[in-house]
Amino acid sequence: MNKLLLMARATYRRRVFSSSFLLLTLGMPAVMIVAAAVPILQASRSSTPRLGYVDLSHQLSPVSSVEVDGKSLAVETFDNPESARRAVESGELDGYLLLPANFREGNDAQYFGLESPSGTVSRAMREVVRQALLPDVSPGVLARLEDPTNVTLESAKDGTRLGSGAGLVIWVGLPVALGILFGLAVVTGAAQMGSAVVREKDQRAMEIVLTSMSPLQLVSGKVLGMTALSLTQLGVWGLGGGLALGVALVGRVDFSGVLIPWPALIWAALLGVPGYFLYATAAAGLGIIAGDSQQGQQLAGMLGFFSMFPLAFLGIVVEHPDGPLAVALTLFPLTAPMFGMVRMALTQVPIWELAGALASVLLSLIFGLWAVSRVFRAAMLIYGQSLRPRAILGALMGR
Amino acid sequence: MHDMRESVICQEARHAMPASDPAVIVKNVTKRYAGITAVDDLSFEVRRGEIFGLLGPNGAGKTTTIRMILDIIRPSAGEITVLGGPMGESTKARIGYLPEERGLYDDMTLLDTLVFLAQLKGLDRRTATARAEELLREVELWEERRRKIQALSRGMNQKAQFVAATLHNPELIIIDEPFSGLDPVNTRLIKHLLYRLRDKGAAIVMSTHQMYQVEEMCQRILLIDHGRDVLHGEVGEVRRRFSEHAVEVNLTGEIDSVPGVERIQSHNGGYRLLLEPGIDPSDVLKSLVDLPGLRVDRFEQVQMSLDEIFVRVVGHAQEQEPA
Repeated sequence: MNKLLLMARATYRRRVFSSSFLLLTLGMPAVMIVAAAVPILQASRSSTPRLGYVDLSHQLSPVSSVEVDGKSLAVETFDNPESARRAVESGELDGYLLLPANFREGNDAQYFGLESPSGTVSRAMREVVRQALLPDVSPGVLARLEDPTNVTLESAKDGTRLGSGAGLVIWVGLPVALGILFGLAVVTGAAQMGSAVVREKDQRAMEIVLTSMSPLQLVSGKVLGMTALSLTQLGVWGLGGGLALGVALVGRVDFSGVLIPWPALIWAALLGVPGYFLYATAAAGLGIIAGDSQQGQQLAGMLGFFSMFPLAFLGIVVEHPDGPLAVALTLFPLTAPMFGMVRMALTQVPIWELAGALASVLLSLIFGLWAVSRVFRAAMLIYGQSLRPRAILGALMGR
Repeated sequence: MHDMRESVICQEARHAMPASDPAVIVKNVTKRYAGITAVDDLSFEVRRGEIFGLLGPNGAGKTTTIRMILDIIRPSAGEITVLGGPMGESTKARIGYLPEERGLYDDMTLLDTLVFLAQLKGLDRRTATARAEELLREVELWEERRRKIQALSRGMNQKAQFVAATLHNPELIIIDEPFSGLDPVNTRLIKHLLYRLRDKGAAIVMSTHQMYQVEEMCQRILLIDHGRDVLHGEVGEVRRRFSEHAVEVNLTGEIDSVPGVERIQSHNGGYRLLLEPGIDPSDVLKSLVDLPGLRVDRFEQVQMSLDEIFVRVVGHAQEQEPA
């Protein structure tokens, strides 16, 4: 097997079965799924809530039942708060809604119950108020009023259908989520590369390995292994997150008309994978420059911060997705993956910009690997000390 | 298993080994970094089938020289030829290295580590595994093969490193302090394996501060100090070069004077005879044998040990250094 691939496989295998990796990788989606399932299990086990209301304004239409989560729920009407309170205290009701005299003018309603209202009770209260305020409006019109922008977007440029409803959320949300996930992947994975390199430098294993392969092969192999490791982690998290989302939303959201944003996903992969390589290479370089593991962790932390820092510009880019800042962040190699993905969700990014982003990432990656392999040789001369800028420059100049 | 008789035979055999093409040629090599000249115009050769001692005090430039031979770092000037050419991918597969600062992947098992490193040297997985298992049995680490490196004792780790450096039957082996951390039994075991590799034709560069090991194992040495060659040659020739003009004798009987002897000193139950200039030791032996009522039990020309030579040469070089 190719030496580079051997190093990548060894790097991957050494960490993928470590307890810390398994705990972090499997633990997070497990927590997400449990967090999504618990409320549903609770709701399924709880009995049908018994709800009443008091209309002190005497201007609202009477309501006897409401539809909540596909079930009909009886609602009891009381003339005064005292009788409603007695019903709650005697256990006939779980709670009641008190609509004040000037409720229609904007005063808040109040809920009285022995416990805080559950999700079902909250939805039932909203339904009571809606029906009481607008008794003659059909459910369809009510739904439209609640979600007036549930429209299908279509590009005026080329007629591309961008989706509607939950589909639109996915169309826009998925690339944005991937962009943010990229930043997280850099923080959790690529930045750890620096610590791993420092550790190996400390263990002196690197010196032995370098008698079998070139520094370029060593760096590339380690970066490849760490990238595979991070992709494994992201894959497990993605599956877990998807499952958790499915558990939480199934039966509640209409997924008809959902369109998968394939172009954005393909570009996300094209920019994300080499972009991750680039960060991992930079992290390896910082690890080599660092004198000890403490300094290595500090430098890795700085890199993690740098990878997330561009999020500060996210608001401006969302507001002006075709503005000069957005274009510049798309073309700059270290921010290209994140903002390329985000902008794909917001606008029709010209193909030249995406191609430019890809080219800048790939060229930076090639330069990064070359530079790190040069610095490797200089670092081998001084164990336990950090490389000074002059030495780094000398190494890059081949002196 | 380890047969000490074989070790003795190996030691005898090395003296009969013919010289062959050099495995390493270092020609006028200099390495400068951070304003320091770590290696200064150094030249030497290492022959196939010999154990070559690369000696020097701490910070003399030995490790830098080794790293340049291994292409871990590049020289600032000069030329290095390894196994017949410049260092390349195929050459790296023919070299084994045991660095002074031991280092293996702590979180890998012993067997996995050895197989991985052997695969990097070009062995296929099956061959690497078979060779690793064979050598682990030989160095008595077979029972530890599933343990992680971090769980091994210092001595075990040392043997594991040695196995990693030699698993692929390298033609050039560079070992830095190979016996540190080893008990006498394991020291003999590693020596035996080194002799075996040398007898198969491997060139071995050994860097150590244990001069008695150098005297026992090496044919030639290079002593460097401040990156410069301060002493270079065959071990026996170097010792003769530093021998005093004196002999040590053990006698049955008393002596007051001997022809050709300037002064007689008592020494370790015998005598040290300081010879007059131009007198051959064999003439003194003849005179002693001819003396009536005297029996010569031991007669030996006085030679300095490598340890003493090291101290004298390095100490002298340091005295010559400008303050």
